[in-house]
Amino acid sequence: MHRTKLALALLLGLASAPAMAQDIKVGTIFPLSGGAGPDGQTVTNAVKLMVQQINEKGGLLGRKLSVISKDDESTPAVGVSRANEMIAEKADVVIEGWNSPVTLAMQPILARGGILDITAVSKSDLILSGETNPYAIRINSSNGFDAEVIAKYVVQTMKAKKVAFLTQNDVYGNGFQTAIEAEFKKLNFSGQIVMTEKFAFKDTDFRVQLTNLNGTDADAIIVTNSSNSSGLPAMVDQYRQAGIKSTFVGAVGIMLSTVFKVAGEANNGVISADIFFPDLPPFTTQPESTSFVAAYTKAYGAAPDKSAALGAAAVQVWAQAVESTKSLDRKTVAEAIRGKSVKGTVFGDVQFLPNGQMQPRYVLFRVVDGKNAKLEALQ
Amino acid sequence: MTAIESPRPASIPLLRVAAVTALVATGFFLPRLLGGTSVAYSTLTTIAIFAVMCYGADIVLSYLGEVSLGHTVFWAIGGYAAANLSAKYGLNGWVTAAATIALCLAAAAFLGAVTLRTREFVFSLVTYAAAVVAFEIAFNWDAVGGSDGIVGIPPLKLPMLVTNFSGAMQEDLWPVAFVLLLLTLAFIARFRRSRLGTTALMVQMNPALAASLGVDPRRIRLAVFVISAPITGLAGWLYAYQRAYVGPDMFESYFLVMMLTAIVLVGRRILLGPLIGTALLITQQNLLSLGGDWNKIVLGSVLALVLIFWPAGLVGLYRRIARTP
Repeated sequence: MHRTKLALALLLGLASAPAMAQDIKVGTIFPLSGGAGPDGQTVTNAVKLMVQQINEKGGLLGRKLSVISKDDESTPAVGVSRANEMIAEKADVVIEGWNSPVTLAMQPILARGGILDITAVSKSDLILSGETNPYAIRINSSNGFDAEVIAKYVVQTMKAKKVAFLTQNDVYGNGFQTAIEAEFKKLNFSGQIVMTEKFAFKDTDFRVQLTNLNGTDADAIIVTNSSNSSGLPAMVDQYRQAGIKSTFVGAVGIMLSTVFKVAGEANNGVISADIFFPDLPPFTTQPESTSFVAAYTKAYGAAPDKSAALGAAAVQVWAQAVESTKSLDRKTVAEAIRGKSVKGTVFGDVQFLPNGQMQPRYVLFRVVDGKNAKLEALQ
Repeated sequence: MTAIESPRPASIPLLRVAAVTALVATGFFLPRLLGGTSVAYSTLTTIAIFAVMCYGADIVLSYLGEVSLGHTVFWAIGGYAAANLSAKYGLNGWVTAAATIALCLAAAAFLGAVTLRTREFVFSLVTYAAAVVAFEIAFNWDAVGGSDGIVGIPPLKLPMLVTNFSGAMQEDLWPVAFVLLLLTLAFIARFRRSRLGTTALMVQMNPALAASLGVDPRRIRLAVFVISAPITGLAGWLYAYQRAYVGPDMFESYFLVMMLTAIVLVGRRILLGPLIGTALLITQQNLLSLGGDWNKIVLGSVLALVLIFWPAGLVGLYRRIARTP
């Protein structure tokens, strides 16, 4: 028995010896099933596409890359199991995170396992607090930056005098409103906040709040609503039905394709901002972006959205750091990203802050044809 | 009583003690027998914690015959107590465990008193409503973590007279989880033979007999419900240290379905039932996973099939097969 085992081990050793260089393992943990499944699949697909492109150019450090993709089921407890599996399979990097709670639960596990952890989408500020992972890296924008761009637009470009809030009553919505108010103070906003109306994440009927807001005659109503497939389209529809004249200013990143699909023309005139668009400048002129959009569209039959771009950028940023440091070590690679600049990603040339946050560059837009999701860039 | 018969009863407990000791020793070294990898340790620690979580709900289901859909509340109380007290005030594991027990007893006394007159479907519904309310509080109250939860939970510290135990790694948490599981098993085994346990069973199986003996069923129900809470609570307490993050997801149906399925899978009122059930479910999810949607379909179908066809669980199924000629 013992001898057979030994022989087997030797055989395996011999078989793998000529190959020597094992594949570098890129792990992904996103929701692949349930409500957020399609979103997670988009990010995973983008990661796979980028890895394939790197392999076609000869891989990294002379080794091929392979992707291990796992499903966190949008459940923190499941994410923790998947993170443990990544440690067992000795992943060299894990790109993860659609829901903040899942990311927050996986973070300490991956950090203890010594695995480099890049958060693609999850937005919570706690992720970069450094308490559980001193080498955290995040690609998506944070609430703080999002608030700055919206506040600047409302105060400086719109020169609004009367502003109202229609805020989702949870950490995301309230946090965003607090951040906007802080920005107002910084910008010496001379107007006034005339009203704040709140609602719950699951709400689909906003007529009471909208009627109240209609009476305020505000120049701008700043809206947070992360229920992209049901609550937000309903809100946009009811906003138009109520005949409100105030400009609908949506928080960053809420105007996803589902909103256009459901609410169509009612979206016309909505103003918002985001960090990636396949069909708006500057992304239509940057070769890194256009080639990504072309390759993604060819591979998956639809143009990539922001989440796809976030997944692709995560791979690019990591790969460049590995190439430049000639290392796969967590600390070495993370230090080559945090606080440094990275050239030629799908977002163009990007800069990382010392806390690991990729500095976002926003495009403000106005919806011109909601039915066809046509936008017009502002500024 | 003849002299020949007397040694027999003595030898059986001895054998039993030896068997139990061997089982406990094997259990303790199981992660090492499975290769000693960090995954072996973390998986077995998770199984131990989840099993303890199940035992709390098991007492209520097996001895009161009621399905509590509110045990996630106690699970979350343990998690939130450990997280808040250790991360914000730097308190050690003994203090957070004591707080968990106290809070669970208080919450269970309240919930138990409220549901005292309810039975079956209404009992389940009210306990479920309690879980929903508790979830909304945890989700919206920033002081206890809000929708983001609490990060930065330090490693478990259990200072003892001579040594200062610290569970920084998964491997260090295993002994704690194992001891907690053993204590729970010992407690359940004692409870089964206790006056309260047998009376509760009588109240459930033969209320008329219980009434004729002058038993107050409401007192029994309340007592059983209250002692079940800290068991699930302590599991949540340890889970907070294992995961180092606590959020409103502790109320998720994932844990609730896990509890109920693990209990009914093997069979009610079987000492090792919930432990084996938990081990089977976690192993399926981690090693034989069919993907998220399929796992949920499997888990849901298993629960439904067992309840419909073999209400007595796998043990009942085995007995039925064994009985058929």
